[in-house]
Amino acid sequence: MYIELHARSAFSFLEGASTPEDLTRAAAIHDMPSIALLDRDGLYGSPRFYLAAQKLKLTAHIGVEITSTTGGRYPLLAASRQGYQNLCRLITCMKMRAKKGEGAVAADELRDANQGLICLTGGDEGPLAYALKTGGVKNGEKCLRELSSIFGKENVYVELQRHFSLQEERRNQAAIELARRLHLPLLATNGVCHAFPDDREILDVFCCIRHHRVLANAGRLLSYNSERYLKSSTQMCALFADLPEAIANTEELASRLKFTLSDLGYQFPVYPTPNKESQISFLRARTLEGMLHRYGTGNEKAEQQILHELSVVEKLDLAGYFLIVWDMVRFCREKNILVQGRGSAANSAVCYALGITAVDPVGMNLLFERFLSDQRGEWPDIDLDLPSGDQRERAIQYVYERYGKLGAAMTANVITYRGRSAAREIGKVLSFDPETLNRLASLVSAWEYTDSKDTLTRQFRDAGLDLQQHRIRKFFELCQKVQDLPRHLGQHSGGMVVCQGQLDSVVPLEPASMPGRVVVQWDKEDCADMGIVKIDLLGLGMMAVLEDTIRLIRDHNREEIDLGHLPANDEKVYSTLQRADTIGMFQVESRAQMSCLPRLKPKCFYDIVVQVAIIRPGPIVGKMVHPYLARRQGREPAESLHPSLESTLSRTLGVPLFQEQLLRIAMIAAGFSGGEAEELRRAFGFKRSEARMKEVEIKLRRGMEANGITGETQDKIVHSITAFALYGFPESHAASFALIAYASAFMKCHYLPAFTTAILNNQPMGFYQPATLIKDAQRHGLRFKPIDVTTSGWDCTMEPGTQDFCVRIGLRYVKGLRKEIALQLIEQRSARAFNSIDDLKYAVPQIRKDELRVLAAVGALNFISGKKGFNRRDALWQVERSSRPSGPLLEGDVSVEIETEIDSNLELPVPSTPMSSPLTPMNHHERLNADFRGTGLSLGLHPMARHRRELNQQGISPASHLAAFPDGKFVKVAGSVIVRQRPGTAKGFVFLSLEDETGIANIIITPHLFEKKHTTIVHHSFLLITGTLQNQDGVISVKAGNVEPFLAAIADLKSHDFH
Amino acid sequence: MTKAAATQFPGVEIRPIAKVQEAAAHSALLDVAWSFSPRVENTAADTVLVDLSGLTTLLGSYDNIATTIVSKCSEVGLTVQVAVSANVETARVVARALPGATVIPQGHEAQYLETLPVTMLSLSQELFEVFERWGVKTCKALASLPVISLSECVGQEGVRLHAIASGKGIRSLVVAELAHSFEESLELDDAVEELEPLSFLLGRLLDQLCVRLVARSLAIRAIHLQFELEPAFEDAFDSTIEFVRTRQLSGAYACTLELPVPSRDSKLLLKLVRLRLQSTLPKAPIQKIHLTAEPAHTRVTQGGLFVPEVPDPEKLELTIARIANVVGENNVGSPQLVDSHRPDSFRMQRFSVPSTPSPILETKSETKIAFRAYRPPVLAKIKLRGARPIHADFLGRSGDVIHASGPWRTSGDWWEDDPWQQDAWDLELAFLHETPPAQGLYRICFDSRQKKWFVQGAYD
Repeated sequence: MYIELHARSAFSFLEGASTPEDLTRAAAIHDMPSIALLDRDGLYGSPRFYLAAQKLKLTAHIGVEITSTTGGRYPLLAASRQGYQNLCRLITCMKMRAKKGEGAVAADELRDANQGLICLTGGDEGPLAYALKTGGVKNGEKCLRELSSIFGKENVYVELQRHFSLQEERRNQAAIELARRLHLPLLATNGVCHAFPDDREILDVFCCIRHHRVLANAGRLLSYNSERYLKSSTQMCALFADLPEAIANTEELASRLKFTLSDLGYQFPVYPTPNKESQISFLRARTLEGMLHRYGTGNEKAEQQILHELSVVEKLDLAGYFLIVWDMVRFCREKNILVQGRGSAANSAVCYALGITAVDPVGMNLLFERFLSDQRGEWPDIDLDLPSGDQRERAIQYVYERYGKLGAAMTANVITYRGRSAAREIGKVLSFDPETLNRLASLVSAWEYTDSKDTLTRQFRDAGLDLQQHRIRKFFELCQKVQDLPRHLGQHSGGMVVCQGQLDSVVPLEPASMPGRVVVQWDKEDCADMGIVKIDLLGLGMMAVLEDTIRLIRDHNREEIDLGHLPANDEKVYSTLQRADTIGMFQVESRAQMSCLPRLKPKCFYDIVVQVAIIRPGPIVGKMVHPYLARRQGREPAESLHPSLESTLSRTLGVPLFQEQLLRIAMIAAGFSGGEAEELRRAFGFKRSEARMKEVEIKLRRGMEANGITGETQDKIVHSITAFALYGFPESHAASFALIAYASAFMKCHYLPAFTTAILNNQPMGFYQPATLIKDAQRHGLRFKPIDVTTSGWDCTMEPGTQDFCVRIGLRYVKGLRKEIALQLIEQRSARAFNSIDDLKYAVPQIRKDELRVLAAVGALNFISGKKGFNRRDALWQVERSSRPSGPLLEGDVSVEIETEIDSNLELPVPSTPMSSPLTPMNHHERLNADFRGTGLSLGLHPMARHRRELNQQGISPASHLAAFPDGKFVKVAGSVIVRQRPGTAKGFVFLSLEDETGIANIIITPHLFEKKHTTIVHHSFLLITGTLQNQDGVISVKAGNVEPFLAAIADLKSHDFH
Repeated sequence: MTKAAATQFPGVEIRPIAKVQEAAAHSALLDVAWSFSPRVENTAADTVLVDLSGLTTLLGSYDNIATTIVSKCSEVGLTVQVAVSANVETARVVARALPGATVIPQGHEAQYLETLPVTMLSLSQELFEVFERWGVKTCKALASLPVISLSECVGQEGVRLHAIASGKGIRSLVVAELAHSFEESLELDDAVEELEPLSFLLGRLLDQLCVRLVARSLAIRAIHLQFELEPAFEDAFDSTIEFVRTRQLSGAYACTLELPVPSRDSKLLLKLVRLRLQSTLPKAPIQKIHLTAEPAHTRVTQGGLFVPEVPDPEKLELTIARIANVVGENNVGSPQLVDSHRPDSFRMQRFSVPSTPSPILETKSETKIAFRAYRPPVLAKIKLRGARPIHADFLGRSGDVIHASGPWRTSGDWWEDDPWQQDAWDLELAFLHETPPAQGLYRICFDSRQKKWFVQGAYD
């Protein structure tokens, strides 16, 4: 029996061509009881390898080909957990000190970490081949003696590979001779680089990518034959017929490799409780304290739930985990970092009591088992939303500090070969010229979703390409094969893992490209699969807005707002939501959300939860939106898909809207267990595969049939589950989001100046451009003040106005102005006010001419002289004048003067030039253009307001008047396009949002009209639309019959296009 | 507007910029200008300035001259705008702005300029942006700015533009000198496919080149021949290493004819070009011909009394070209190894005498036998036992295998139309039926694609 003990996967990045799953599959085909994976300098593929092997009932041996400082790579196998830990530490040590993709270990380091490791002598890149090549048999012997001294004689195997190469055979003969001389065992391997013979082509392509060559000139860098695939025992026995002991030793060695990833030795950190109190009692005390704070006394239901949850936590020994998350949340609170848990954690009353989440699961009747169940045997998943940017980074750095650089790390994100980029790389390697490459790349989307070969051939032919042509066909095949193979490792946006003791003994760590960050070699899913607890620290723009809003309210309104204690059922909030007046609000501001709000008419918090979850591709594709709305308006009876599902679906009027519901449906209707339901969710999740989905569907249908659910009902249920699983929102998640949505709506309704200031300071985020946010706020009565170098800060600020606060636009909105320059300017200004542009330039010498020009053009320098009538053109003239060097003679004098003045501590001299200019002041139109060009927004009248008189004459209605018109009326509207959307779920319909000075009109463009007027719709900023008004349940839109450019207004407004 | 957006409009056809035609038009414009006066300034790709002083006595009034220039240009197929002014810059600006022929009376320059946009003054991008921000849109607006303040703001360039906008810019012409390049191009209405009509066209171009070179006492050292071919997708692939390195255009054919000695004999050149084309004819019809000659001084040699007579280099070149035409371009020259796993792969390179003697390779003491390759390999009949050869028949000889070593398997070029895969064996053969019985070491291979055995060579 032969066992392959030296195989590389595509996780050797460009040096292997098959996934770990394919390797295990091939091993299973050949009836091998086990197989070893040795990727280059990493254990990137080992979790996937282990899991795939486990499914096929194979043993997965883990090893690494580790680069040596002396040349060559040591193939090392982990025989025990200690060996595995040594491997992890060796890799970490080597990676942490080198640049990405580089690094090597020295022999001494191996000597220090030799326990539990078995060393093979390798193939072409092994230490023995390297020694023989550089110094002949003598050097080879030296090498083997050194390896024996490092790892122990019994732990070194002289590896023989036979790929039908003369040179290799010569080396083998030398190796055999040396092995006999030194009494070392021989070991046959095939130095596998791909699972099946055909995969050699991918290996050659990768070789070219690695060496920056094309196939035509890669020459002998490519493989000389296709023999590096996983061979069967029979094949290998025939190859080594003369050396049966080399084959026998594979079995013997495999039996010595006791380590598998099931024996990882990972432990979640223990929370250091005071006075040696047990973790569970400490947690219980904190939870009960929190319960009093959250629920007060006498809430029996809450108390019961909390005690039940605590008992589950105790049973599963998860107290430490809860305490560690609690500790992080506490840190954030202490540092005034807004934090809120989301995900399934929101189902837990313990999390709510501890302040980790903000949704009351008892009040909302949420299902705790979705979060934690003693049957599932999975770590619970707690995601924390933090303000994006610096605050989130502070939280991440706290985790590093608390658990040490080698005790905590970010999870990785495996970037795979996908779509067009993969097609381009392969096309380049095949030497296609750029034009053909473009044509081929443009076809990628065509073949991704085509199953019929005929269609594909036709599509290729239409693009002028012949699929019958050898090289085009090869290109196509390679593109298919390379899909989903790992390309490189990135850093996951927020997933962190922590460990009791040294994380680097569990999984190798690497430095991330971002300074101060460390990444594990496994991605988020792998960590979850291996039972490593991860905490997602996610950055959320709206959290940053809320945090800033609270600070601004504290500073200016002198009020303290606690997000946890916002008044529930605020009338103003709900009436605003019902009117869909939601620009800037979290999750409910999009065009689709807005068109749903007047129909759903949220009246309570749960309605917002539904609102957040309903406008998602899942419910839309699953055709759940209209039935739900119809039922809500009482037009349809609230019946469930099947009577047995009544209890699950009654909350959502019989329509499944949440992910939990579909899992329940599968459990009730098809008799799935909790685990099977989870499996279903994964099968339809992001890493979906056709085969797996089909498999689950069959099982689902069979289950339903057994329960007597057949025919149309069965189809309906299957359809809703399949449409849903990928995009369906978990209820708890929607509840957490709804809370933020409510908070943002509350802030906007009651503290508009603070909220607007905060949202303007956290751009880009959300759905609308700052220009639209400002126009919306202006319509709500907020006043804005222009950018002014004498008062504006970097951020937008609140200033007291005549009645309420107004917002001063910050220097951050001046396009091209560097932040450090703006900060310098503010610092200098606080020391002494500027009295001219020369003065400003003198105080901030690093400021560039283009920065001054844009400041002048947007009117930010108008107030610098303190004189009335100093306009933008005067400023522009002065900027040009002051920017020209005055000549060395004069400069010399000034510097002498300055030194003298500084020495004598007198005021600095202020150079001055006359402040007038011969230029004509800007007219309104020019100012508008300059504003948009220099800041992307305008505080003045909306461009459309200037044209209102002519518009009225032409019968063009303002957006705000549309609501008063009856359904079906022929209307004309004009305005600037702020959003263009063509959602994939809308069958080619295009939605435009057209803004005028009174509000926003929603336009629907049919696919036919879009095709006809494509250029006008896509390229013009201002449009004139004629069409029929649709007024359905208060949702106003215009179905366009014709689209014309509106040429009277030409300011270059930016829209939020096709997102 | 993007290209994609432009194509949305019905009837819009997007044509690439025809640089060659633009250059030809510019040359024609210069030719017309030179036919009026030797003092011509080559101002821009679309503008020339001509000094007309003193020409009125010869050619009549300025109105007359302007009209004559327009009609002369029209004869060479150019539609032009002409302006005559006492001020060089005014003439340039007005000619670019106003259609037909305009004669500006002296002293009225500003009047003609005032409504023209400042962009007509050929501003730098930076100044254009400054003026735009200032709201200075016309020459009049620029001319009305105080010149000293303007110079403080935008420097001397501003002053110069101010003067031009006021019709007061003074400068003299920069008289152009005729450039000497030896290139000839011909764009064909109908693509040419056959050699005969192509030779005719090439002959004409070569004649022109040679005449131009003779006038300058020069000869041709090398000719670069470039053809633009009709697009044919299948032929866009050529993956030889040379091609990948030198590829410029898809649908293009290029070759270089290097001469051992410079020549200006157009007939000889045509013969060489024809021979070259016969052996490697472009795969698609030719749309455009471009010839570039590398000039060199003519050969002056004195035969030595004691130097052995060598063949006339021109004749030798012609002979090699003729041989190449018979045996194929790729079969003449000296062989060079190719970087490939494909056994026995090499390519032929042009003979050249190395400038430095090649270093004498040290022969390794381990190498005891040499390999004598059979080209092409010899077909053989091999008997196998299991997978191992036991008997071989080839070239009328029949031998038993005493010892076999192998197989040595190679495969590659899987992306090409002709991939290869072969298993090679080293055999020790005993020819027992020969008298006296002989033995030999041979390399044989099984070609998996042809399903045939070959003897690749013998070890000496």
